[in-house]
Amino acid sequence: MDLSILTSYTFLVVCFGTMILASVAGMIGAVTVLKGQSLIGDAIGHSSYPGVIIAFMIGMALDPVLLLIGATLSGTLAFVLVQFIDVNSKLNLDAILATVLSAFFGLGMVLKSYIQGHPIYVKVPQGGLQNYIFGQAAFIRLVDVQLIFVVAIPSIFLLILFYKEFKLFVFDEIYAKSIGLSPSMMYIIMVLMIMGVIATGLKFVGAILISSFLIVPAITAMQWSNRFNRVLLIAAGVGSFSSFIGTYLSSVYAGMSTGPSIILAMSCIAFLSMIIGPHGLIASKIRRREFLADN
Amino acid sequence: MSQNIIVKVEDLTMAYNEKPVLWDNDVDIVENSRTAIIGPNGAGKSTLVKGILGLQKTLSGYVEVMGQPVKQVQKKIAYIPQSNSVNWDFPTTALDVVLMGRYVHLGWIKRPRKKDLEKAEQALQKIGMQDYKNRQISQLSGGQRQRVFIARAIAQDAEIYFMDEPLAGVDKNTEKVIIDFLKKSQSQGKTSIVIHHDLNTLAEYFDHLVILNKKIIDQGPMQTTLTKENLAQANLGGWLR
Repeated sequence: MDLSILTSYTFLVVCFGTMILASVAGMIGAVTVLKGQSLIGDAIGHSSYPGVIIAFMIGMALDPVLLLIGATLSGTLAFVLVQFIDVNSKLNLDAILATVLSAFFGLGMVLKSYIQGHPIYVKVPQGGLQNYIFGQAAFIRLVDVQLIFVVAIPSIFLLILFYKEFKLFVFDEIYAKSIGLSPSMMYIIMVLMIMGVIATGLKFVGAILISSFLIVPAITAMQWSNRFNRVLLIAAGVGSFSSFIGTYLSSVYAGMSTGPSIILAMSCIAFLSMIIGPHGLIASKIRRREFLADN
Repeated sequence: MSQNIIVKVEDLTMAYNEKPVLWDNDVDIVENSRTAIIGPNGAGKSTLVKGILGLQKTLSGYVEVMGQPVKQVQKKIAYIPQSNSVNWDFPTTALDVVLMGRYVHLGWIKRPRKKDLEKAEQALQKIGMQDYKNRQISQLSGGQRQRVFIARAIAQDAEIYFMDEPLAGVDKNTEKVIIDFLKKSQSQGKTSIVIHHDLNTLAEYFDHLVILNKKIIDQGPMQTTLTKENLAQANLGGWLR
């Protein structure tokens, strides 16, 4: 085991970035999962990829801020498209999400192969674009981590500030509306936060797997607690711990992408929790047996 | 006889996916009444209540509660949705759900205080649920969930209760607790508007009636409104034993 890496500057920067990102994503993800909207993150994640490529084509450079703007715009466009189709058709939301996310991601892949070897772009290094699919710690710069902070701090602030409103919005939207709390406004805040996490997390985790940052810590946390505030905190903790493990593995072993390594760590914790957690399989079986014995 | 009208609805028309559900309805709810809304499936009972409360878009019409637009009196109106309209697996306790009844008084951002917590506990006590206050809501029975919803309305300190089928799927004991609560509220000057589905208990539980089948068939005091002709007209004729 190589521990010297733990003090290297690159490792610290990347590790810090992914840990902050994952804790924010874990909390926001818990809100979306409990709201029954976990696929929204998946759709926005995939759909942000063509924005990255188009921003590169326009800017002719791998400028993190420019690519982030591209990712946000195309993620937003996809989201608006999903909403538009949802309102104006009788299709199920999951079918619409699947269609839009694959169409956008497909466009991103086509554009990426188009610019590879194209005479106009051949002089610009494009190796980094690959990393927006799976994430790669080795390409992370300080500015990428700074961007995470720009998104993470306001997101946490909003969650704490509107904690009570979020709770009511997630649990009982119609009652919320009856006392004058606008569900559409809460929904917009939620989507903005998802968008922020995805746009800044793409380079670390990649477009394909970024949605797991939102979903996996949340379902893990739900195996351990039945209090909303604790679920949020546990999700944040699971996210950041997995990020540490994943970033370490991908830094030590050359060729291991950061995103998949983190997700693997996260998923191991999730599966374990589903089995041994106080609200997991074993505990439920025991409770059911006790209930049957009592009645 | 002069009775105050606490909820006044004029020419209310509502549609679902461009298909009209309610046409041009006028409804008057008498203050301090226990009013039941009945009608066959798909008659638009829930839609009417949602339209009155501004929870669903209306195509036309005018609604006034306590002489004001609904948005002005939200604190005074407690809405009790159908209990299957929420996710009961949400990680929280019975007491926490009841505490949500205080949110309307707190406004944005502010957290519940000790006084709110006390009100929530008292509300649970009034409905016989104090022993379940720390129970995870997924572990409550159908009747207990309905009582938690009623307790939330009590904690809200409202003047008017709108309930969407509060007796659906509850045990006999809960049914009695809820009806006792409605009667007690009436003695305290409050008004209840309840969507109901059991014609046999109608006259016993309520004193005013609104019969709806996309249009208002009839409305008024129970004795004069609950007639065979009215029920037949609402396609409810066969239901009465």
